Amino acid sequence: MAQLTNMQMMAVALARQIKDGMTCIIGTGLPLLGATIAKYTTAPNAVLIFESGIIDGNPLEIPTSVSDLRLALGASVLWPQYRYLGFQNNAYKKGKIDLGFLGGAQIDIFGNLNSTSIGDYWHPDSRFPGSGGANGIATNVNTVIIMKHERRRFCEKVDYITSPGWIDGPDGRKRLGLPEVGPQALVTDLGVMGFDKETKRMYLAEYFPGVKIEQIAENTGFEMDLSRAVIAEPPSEEMLDILKKLM
Amino acid sequence: MKSNNKVMNMKEAVSTFVHDGDCIALGGFVTNRKPYAAVREIIRQGIKDLYLEGGPAGGDVDMLIGAGCVKVYFNSYFANSGFTEVCRRARHAIEQGTILWEDYSLDVQTLLYHAAALGLPYIAVKNMLGSNMIDKWGIAAEVWEKDPKLASRKLMVTSNPFNPDEQVCLLPTPKIDTAIIHVQRASAGGICRIYGNTFVDVDIAMGATNCIVTCEELVSEDVLRKEPWLNQLPELVPDAIVHAPYGAHPAQCTNHYDYDGQFLKMYDQASRTDEEFIKYLTEWIYGTEDNDAYLEKLGVSRLFNLRVKPGYGYVPL
Repeated sequence: MAQLTNMQMMAVALARQIKDGMTCIIGTGLPLLGATIAKYTTAPNAVLIFESGIIDGNPLEIPTSVSDLRLALGASVLWPQYRYLGFQNNAYKKGKIDLGFLGGAQIDIFGNLNSTSIGDYWHPDSRFPGSGGANGIATNVNTVIIMKHERRRFCEKVDYITSPGWIDGPDGRKRLGLPEVGPQALVTDLGVMGFDKETKRMYLAEYFPGVKIEQIAENTGFEMDLSRAVIAEPPSEEMLDILKKLM
Repeated sequence: MKSNNKVMNMKEAVSTFVHDGDCIALGGFVTNRKPYAAVREIIRQGIKDLYLEGGPAGGDVDMLIGAGCVKVYFNSYFANSGFTEVCRRARHAIEQGTILWEDYSLDVQTLLYHAAALGLPYIAVKNMLGSNMIDKWGIAAEVWEKDPKLASRKLMVTSNPFNPDEQVCLLPTPKIDTAIIHVQRASAGGICRIYGNTFVDVDIAMGATNCIVTCEELVSEDVLRKEPWLNQLPELVPDAIVHAPYGAHPAQCTNHYDYDGQFLKMYDQASRTDEEFIKYLTEWIYGTEDNDAYLEKLGVSRLFNLRVKPGYGYVPL
């Protein structure tokens, strides 16, 4: 167990967010790995859906993208993209999607995400792909966010909001006309954060074995409540086996 | 009048339907069924000042931007996911300010193409509210207003006339001159069949003024008319049918071939610097006269090894 890296622990924590029978939207990158692990361990009946229109895919290998033929294997339907977005847009009214998983380059204490650019938008220091499906997911469903835990990424104010979180507190979304869903958890390579029910501010919920709470505070560019943190459970042998096979 | 043979070679199709300053849209999704053979021909012909609707873009858009074909890029995403997380030529062009760009959510672009296919003037969405896509426009408001290729503005936020308490974002439907899609099967007359995900392909084909279809297999229409429920486009939509086997290489194509991981890794390296990219263009695009020459250069065994394995639909580990 001692050899478990933080990245592996991150994938496990991610997989744990997917409970059996849930319907989840999965984005490219680490979410794909976490979802594949969940599917083979604790959540075999989870329904995974993707912005490419692949619905209920059953991958045997880690797909490289949300449109990879590896994901279409054993899928129930391949919708045109507009059908996917229609399903997603109706989800908060019908309660048909439990969680959406997404990543970003910067995040603030309310879970607003930047995956567009660092620095001035018109003269960026660093440019990223942009929204992809992330903005639609963040607009319409409850989300779990996945990021590397670094001080430069955890900012007082993100340089560009690509995907809205809780905006600036409990009334933020309503004021802007957004459905009242939002970030539920943030999984990093150091631990798991939650969002306070009342204030919608991020707090430390779990830290991974071998990680110190101070280390998390040092790597967070804003003041975060650390008082509720507990140590994360190590993964089961079964999950570990699958993880090693897939990673 | 309906013409029943729309078969052209790639040179002819591109020179007929893609001109300097046109707005074009490309089908496929990051590394899946991208119309690469047509992209290579656009680059060979040195077409400039394109207004490019990327949708879920990958190396296709990256090559066009890197080769200097693009003036305005309408973006929602650009990555050869799993190989290049941010396409490097497009990134470089934005960071250096050598192209104009505008950012959208992929859902919004998808819906804009659907609106184009349905002939609707604009869309009303909740997406993008609360994001900087609403207030930070890549293209200046006065350029939106003046450029006849663009609508008068990127978007506007207003209240829903039927429910004044609700805010909505309105966006104008894009005016696409030519859509280019790659399909598995087409007849000479233009019936098209796509296997696997259709992504935004049918919508851009129907929403654009002109449509170029490149295909893996040019088949007799009898084959396609036997099971019309499997077809996506009638003869009435495409304007050019181009036979281009492996025309999505290095992307994947359902029932035919997987992506070429080795090639995508090579491209990742080649797109790092101006010098390396020019070498890439010289060797793989300017240095190959057409799709046949490109395939010759790739070689038989390489192409053979990319063929999908039945039961999987890709090349398993």
